[in-house]
Amino acid sequence: MGTDRYAYASRLRRVEAVPKLWLTLGALILCISCGSAAVGLVTLALMGALTVGLGGQRAATLVRFLRLPLAFLAVGCLPIVFRPLPAGEGALWAAEVFGRFRWGVTAEYLRVGLTVFCKALGAVSAMYFLSLNPPMTDLTQALERLHVPKLLVELMELIYRFLFVFSDTARRIRVAQESRLGYQTAGRGLRSLGELASSLFLRAWRQADRSYTALESRGYTGALNTLPATRTPGRWLYGVLAAVAAVQILTWMAERSWLQ
Amino acid sequence: MKRSDAWIRRGAALCLALGLMTTGASAMHIAEGYLPRTWAFGWMAVCVPFVAAGFFSIRRKVGRYPKAKMLLAMCGAFAFVLSALKIPSVSGSCSRPTGVGLGAILFGPTATTVLGLIVLLFQALLLTHGGITTLGANVFSMAIVGPFVSWGVYVLLKKAGCRPALAVFCAAALGDLMTYVTTSVELGVVYGNIGSYLAIFAVTQIPLAIAEGLLTVVVYNVLEKYSKAELQELSVL
Repeated sequence: MGTDRYAYASRLRRVEAVPKLWLTLGALILCISCGSAAVGLVTLALMGALTVGLGGQRAATLVRFLRLPLAFLAVGCLPIVFRPLPAGEGALWAAEVFGRFRWGVTAEYLRVGLTVFCKALGAVSAMYFLSLNPPMTDLTQALERLHVPKLLVELMELIYRFLFVFSDTARRIRVAQESRLGYQTAGRGLRSLGELASSLFLRAWRQADRSYTALESRGYTGALNTLPATRTPGRWLYGVLAAVAAVQILTWMAERSWLQ
Repeated sequence: MKRSDAWIRRGAALCLALGLMTTGASAMHIAEGYLPRTWAFGWMAVCVPFVAAGFFSIRRKVGRYPKAKMLLAMCGAFAFVLSALKIPSVSGSCSRPTGVGLGAILFGPTATTVLGLIVLLFQALLLTHGGITTLGANVFSMAIVGPFVSWGVYVLLKKAGCRPALAVFCAAALGDLMTYVTTSVELGVVYGNIGSYLAIFAVTQIPLAIAEGLLTVVVYNVLEKYSKAELQELSVL
């Protein structure tokens, strides 16, 4: 599902997930803390290169995923750049809206908008390192090792397991409904979707019931214990983290001194 | 079914009227990296008490009733799949239901908060909707404000003696709308210009909120008709 399919094909698949988690979080936090466009672009390049170079993902895959948040970023940056201006303020471009309000673009807010855009792209590319490298099951085990409460981790593992069952069920119901013209008009579509959701709920419920019975008959006492697969520790990834952080900080300092 | 048909058709006509301006309302999760550091961590801190309260209430329930864990996991997966379905919207742009109304009505607001946190994390990592640093802000709008509004509206209207269908509709539609209003405010307080964010993310959401309300009513009716026993078991949760 989604990015997970690619994570299973990653070259870093046999490496422990904890260092990957720290590498991502480190790059992410530095990227959003610096608040500069250059650091964002550098993070985008570095983390993208790591995903492609170390993880062995194809660059086209990464670009396809990077395009996904662009819709939000474009729409979300619009109100930053284009905003009401007080009368008499200098602007790159301005127009009267409804003949009374003056809206426009100033150099200052254009800069803010661009910074936010670049910063967000860098952060997204850092997050993709985590999405495209460790599979979700490794990640939940890493969370357990980091002392996230056991109940929460178990819920995550169960939810992840059920996701695939239910999305398959939903997909099959949808195909059946569409082949009977269930989505021909909007009204009919709403009703079909409602029926899909409710029968999905019922099936999910019965599935949970059956899983619980199956567990109980195998001596379930309230804990789902699984053996972790063998992984190499991957401590060298901390070195990569240090290198990425160093480049980010150097870029930030260079940008500041250049602006002054 | 005849009457609800007419109802849905009327609703769809209303959606058509309002739906003309629905163009940019596809984004409901704040993307990764969009919020500056202070706000990102601030929203996480705001969420902590709610998530902790939800976690402890779940733990109590699981301790008393071991099957609850399985049922809650099932509910979480259901919420994830539901939010990935596309609502057929009239104007051609498809939007996704938030599912907050249904979740809050079925499972109560505190359990929804914890399940929402997990579902949002999965959406960020698997579907690339939302992000890790913006998780706090997204949890606040989608797993705290939305469910609490829905649940409050539902309980109030039921107390006031409204028809269940109307109570469910109002709860789901208002929960959906308040989710987007919260998202707009979260963006607006950081970058100013709240009005534009409200116009882009919340006003365009009105027809979709109505569509989600209608959808939730359909789901609720079917569930009430065919799965009384399950719903009674659910009220134990």
